[in-house]
Amino acid sequence: MILSRVIRVLDGLIAGIMSFGRLLALPVVLLLFLQWPLRDLVQAYSREANDLGQWLFALYVAMAVTAATRARTHLATDLIARGYTAPTRELLVRAAALIGVLPWAAFVIIAGKSIVVSSVLARETFPDTTNPGYFVVKLALWVLAGLMVAQGLVDLFRPSHEGET
Amino acid sequence: MAWAGMGLMALVAAGIVLTGLPAFLILLTAATAGAALAVIGGTVPVSLLGALPARLINLLENDLLQALPLYVLMGVLLDRLHIGDALFRVSLRLLPRGAAAPVVSGLGLGALLGPMNGSVGASVLSLSRALEPRLRASGVPLPLRTAAIAVASTLGVVVPPSLVLILLGDAMLSAHTIAVTTTGRADRVINTQDVFHGALAPAGLFFAAALAVAWLASRNVPLHEPVEAREPITRRDILLAVVAVLALVLLLGGVATGFIFPVEGAASGACALLIAGLLTGRLRWPVLGPALAEVMAITGTLFALLIGATSLTLVLHLLGTARLIGDWLVGLPGGELTVVATVLAIIGLSAFVLDAFEIIFVVVPIVLPPLLVRVADARWVAVLVLLTLQTSFLLPPFGYALMMLRGTLKQAVPLGPLVRALAPFLIAQWTVLAVVFAMPSIVHLGEPPGDRLRTAPTLVSPQDIDKRLQEMIAPPPDITSPDLRP
Repeated sequence: MILSRVIRVLDGLIAGIMSFGRLLALPVVLLLFLQWPLRDLVQAYSREANDLGQWLFALYVAMAVTAATRARTHLATDLIARGYTAPTRELLVRAAALIGVLPWAAFVIIAGKSIVVSSVLARETFPDTTNPGYFVVKLALWVLAGLMVAQGLVDLFRPSHEGET
Repeated sequence: MAWAGMGLMALVAAGIVLTGLPAFLILLTAATAGAALAVIGGTVPVSLLGALPARLINLLENDLLQALPLYVLMGVLLDRLHIGDALFRVSLRLLPRGAAAPVVSGLGLGALLGPMNGSVGASVLSLSRALEPRLRASGVPLPLRTAAIAVASTLGVVVPPSLVLILLGDAMLSAHTIAVTTTGRADRVINTQDVFHGALAPAGLFFAAALAVAWLASRNVPLHEPVEAREPITRRDILLAVVAVLALVLLLGGVATGFIFPVEGAASGACALLIAGLLTGRLRWPVLGPALAEVMAITGTLFALLIGATSLTLVLHLLGTARLIGDWLVGLPGGELTVVATVLAIIGLSAFVLDAFEIIFVVVPIVLPPLLVRVADARWVAVLVLLTLQTSFLLPPFGYALMMLRGTLKQAVPLGPLVRALAPFLIAQWTVLAVVFAMPSIVHLGEPPGDRLRTAPTLVSPQDIDKRLQEMIAPPPDITSPDLRP
C-alpha cells in the first residue's frame, strides 16, 4: 500500500517535471535563433545567447528521454512481439527496467559524482567564454540519470492494472 | 573478450527483433550486461567504465545535436499548422488529375519534410499519419501506398540537409581524422558540408527516378474522386503553400550549401513557424502545449538512442571488439571495392534491425576508420553508406521502414503484392547505388580543383598502420582524465 502510494507520488512528480520541461523548447529555440542576428547585426552578446541556449538544451534533453518513455515514443520493432500477451510484454518492460535502466542510471550517478559535484561546487564557467552556467550542463547528467531511475522504479513497481500516463 | 563483444552485438539484434522493447533499452541492457561481464571476468577494470559520464556530457553539450529538437519542432509545427496538408492539396491541384497525383504529391511532401523528421522511424510515423488516409481516399491500393510511404520516409536519409546527414558528417569527420592520422595521408578531413554536397546529385537522381516510378506505377490505377477534389482550395491555402515551399527550400538549401549553419537555420525556421502560428491565431495554448510535449517526446526518442549507442560503443571498445573488427578490415584481402562492399554489407545487415541514428553511433565508429585507412575518398564512402542505409530500410520483408510501417498502419500488407509495388523503386535505388559505386566522380560534382588533397599515401608499414589504428580507436580518450585514472 505504502509502495503504491510512493510510486503514485513519484509518477505525479515526474509528470510535473515533464510538463515544465516541455516549455524549455521555447527559450532554446529563441536563444539559438538570436545568436545569429546578435552576431551579424548587433555584434555583441551572441556567445552569451549560445551559452545560455546550451545549458537550457542540456537540461531539456536530459528530461526529454524520460518524456519519450512516458509517451511511449521510443523506437521499437514490433513485428514479432505484437503477438505476445499483455502480461508477457509487461514482464519484458519490468525486466528491462530492472536489469537495464536502473543499473545503468545508478552507475552514471555514482561514476559521474566527482565530475558533477566538483563542477557545481566551483560554479564552473564555460571554458571558451567564461560565461556562468557551464556547471548546469554537467548537472544535467544527474537530471538525466535521476529521472531515468525514478521512471524505472515507476515502471518496475507500477500495479499491473494501471496504464502509463 | 573481443569475441564476446561480437556476441553482444548479435544479442542486441536478436533482442530488438524478439522482445519488441525499445531499441535504446536493449542497447542499455546490452551495455550494462557486457560491462558487468567484463568487470567480473577481470578483463576491464571498473575505473575504465568511468569514461561513460564524460562521454554522456559530451552529448549534452554537442553543438550539432542542438539542431535535433529544432528540426523536430519545425516538423511538428508544419504538421500542427496544417502546412503539410496545404502543400499536399495544392500539389494535387497542380498535377494532372489521376491516381498518380497523390502518390507523386506524397513523395514530394516526403522530400520536404523528411530532412526535418530526424529518423526513418519518425518519418514513418509522421508521413503515414499525413499521407495514408489521403492515398486511401484517392483509391491507391494498399501495397502501392505502403511502398510510396516507405520510400517517402527514407528520403530524409539521402536528401540534405537532414539530421541523418548532419550526424553522419560528424561521425565521418571523426573516422576520417583517425584514418588520416593513422596513414599519414595529406587528405583534407571530410566535414558535414562535404557530405551534403556529395549526397546532392545521387539524392536528386533517386528522387527524380522515384517520382517517375510513382507516376508510371499508379497511372493505371482506377481513379477515385480524391477528398481534396471536393474541398475548395482557398487563396490562403495557395499562399501558405507557396510561402512554405519557398521558405523550406531557402532554409534547407541554405543549410545544404553551407550558407547557413544547421543549428541557426533550424532555429530560424522554428522561430518563423512559431511567430506565424501565433500571429494567425492557429497556435493557441491547446495546440501549442501538446505540440511541445510531442517535440520533447520525439527529441527524447532520438537522444535515448544516442545514449544507448554511446554506452554500448564504449563497452565494445573496452572489450577490444572494435580493434578486432578494425584488424580484420585492415587485413581483408582484395582491393578498395572489396573492402567497401564488405563494410557496406555489414551496414546493410545492421539496417535490418537498427535505425539510421543507431548505425551512425554504434556501427560507423567501429567499421569506418579501418575502411578509410584502405579507401581515401571519404565523401564517396559517406554517400555509399547513405544509399546502402536507404536500400536496407526498404528491403522486404525485414527492411526497417517496412517493419515500422506495417506496425503503424495496423493493416496486414501481403508480402507478394508489396514486393511487386516496391520492386521498381528498389531497382531505381540500386541503379543510383551502382552508378555511385562505379563512378565516384558523381559525388564530387562542383568540387573546386585541389579541394580534396589526395596525395599518395606516405610509406607507412602495415604494422605501423595497425599500431596507430589501435591507439586511435581502442581506448576512449576520456579515460586519461586525472579523475578517471585507476
